[in-house]
Amino acid sequence: MTAKALSITRYTVIQLFRNKLFSILGIFGCILLGASLLIASLGGDQQLRVLLDLGLACLEFLALVSGVFAAVTLILEEMEARTIALVLIRPLHRAEYLVGRFLGLLTALLLSMGIMAALHLGLLFFKGWRWDASYLVAVAFSAGKIMVITSLALFLSLFATSSISALTLTFFLWVLGHFSQELKFLANKTGYPAFTALVKAIYYVVPNFAYLNLKDHLEGTGVMGRWLGGAALYAVCYTVACLTLALGLFRRKEF
Amino acid sequence: MNFNTGNAIVVDHVTKVYRSRHLGRLRLTVGVTDLTFAVREGELFGLLGLNGSGKTTTIKLILGLLFPTHGALSLFGHPLSHREARSLVGYLPEIPSLYRYLTAEEILRLYGELSELPSTVLPRRIDEALALVHLEEHRRRRLQEFSKGMLQRVGIAQALLHDPPLLIFDEPITGLDPLGLKEMRQIIVMLNQRGKTVFFSSHSISEVERICHRVGILVRGRLARILDQAEWSQREGALEALFMDTVQSTVGTATPASR
Repeated sequence: MTAKALSITRYTVIQLFRNKLFSILGIFGCILLGASLLIASLGGDQQLRVLLDLGLACLEFLALVSGVFAAVTLILEEMEARTIALVLIRPLHRAEYLVGRFLGLLTALLLSMGIMAALHLGLLFFKGWRWDASYLVAVAFSAGKIMVITSLALFLSLFATSSISALTLTFFLWVLGHFSQELKFLANKTGYPAFTALVKAIYYVVPNFAYLNLKDHLEGTGVMGRWLGGAALYAVCYTVACLTLALGLFRRKEF
Repeated sequence: MNFNTGNAIVVDHVTKVYRSRHLGRLRLTVGVTDLTFAVREGELFGLLGLNGSGKTTTIKLILGLLFPTHGALSLFGHPLSHREARSLVGYLPEIPSLYRYLTAEEILRLYGELSELPSTVLPRRIDEALALVHLEEHRRRRLQEFSKGMLQRVGIAQALLHDPPLLIFDEPITGLDPLGLKEMRQIIVMLNQRGKTVFFSSHSISEVERICHRVGILVRGRLARILDQAEWSQREGALEALFMDTVQSTVGTATPASR
């Protein structure tokens, strides 16, 4: 990572926090407070369970929405506002710019997820929850899913003809990625070779978000340990592949 | 044409054709055709042309923001693909598009870092650039609070920040009030007197006439003529007459701008 890419990263973080990203923290706080008031009538354990699941789901959903919107507009906005010209005329590679922008977005998202997790934990402890390390694993793998989907959104934003089509396609792939196992099942059951090949191709190309879900891998410590390493490697490799493809498109762009 | 040393910009048989698709049909639009010229080091060169004549396309090709369909460009002997070439240029666009969420100081720091200014030198250079454009008092204000004139000044500051030997200004006087016009003229002349090569585009013949050493006239994407100061300095209004003659005589022979 070069000093110039780090400069781009730093200013992207400033941009995102000064522009819009902090507003999602406010939304998250409101949802948590509202939910805690609504479930106050439930019994102790039930209340904690709902608050835990709801908080984690909200955290991932808000990071997803803000991350995908920010990723799709990360380069397109700069192209439309023409701010990109005064950056690219300087002695830096386009890869430094693209990677710097992506890492800036990722840093801002991780920071906001960290703040949301701290708020959530504060409320859980206040309600009498006892610390469980799998909470951290769940948040870390939500962050992994967000990293994968934002890199995909960035690639699609450079490939698609408009930001709306890039957004639609990203959200479609987010949903499809959560049904990877069903896709595999479908591919194995169908009797038509061409259809099997097509579904298998989709299965391998679409990000396998089901694989990154903590809940599906809680059976035993051995399984969990193997999954952790494999899932982390999968998320990093998929992200690098998306960024490489995005760079291939970005190198040919004219401004 | 001699393209050996001593040239800040060399444009060698450059053609730019824009390709776009609409409803599956490929549309080709010619931006510039077979452009060949050189700008000498230390020269103040003006590029004149009507709207749509290819001035901005030429500037974007020189900056590497557009890729030529044919031909090659170099800056101080370095091909445009080399990073060295891009460290030698300062650019002021017609409308400076800057990050509005940053302060004046922050944006200059970013551009300084990207222009490879050492961290020991950068703070002093930011101070000097802000002082030159009279924005020292506003250094900690975000650009979204700046007026159009102030943004233009920040645009000038970022172009000069890394002290490049070549400055490229795209329509620098368009939309300026008389005071801003005078200041911009003074800045361009002052930079040239300090040894900078200045290349700028304009459709204001009177301004180009006052300050340029040489002028290139673009007509429908072709460089129709290059004039030396001696050709217009003897008689007031001579450049305007030469420009009109060139445009009128070339329009009949030039390739249409779009096909």
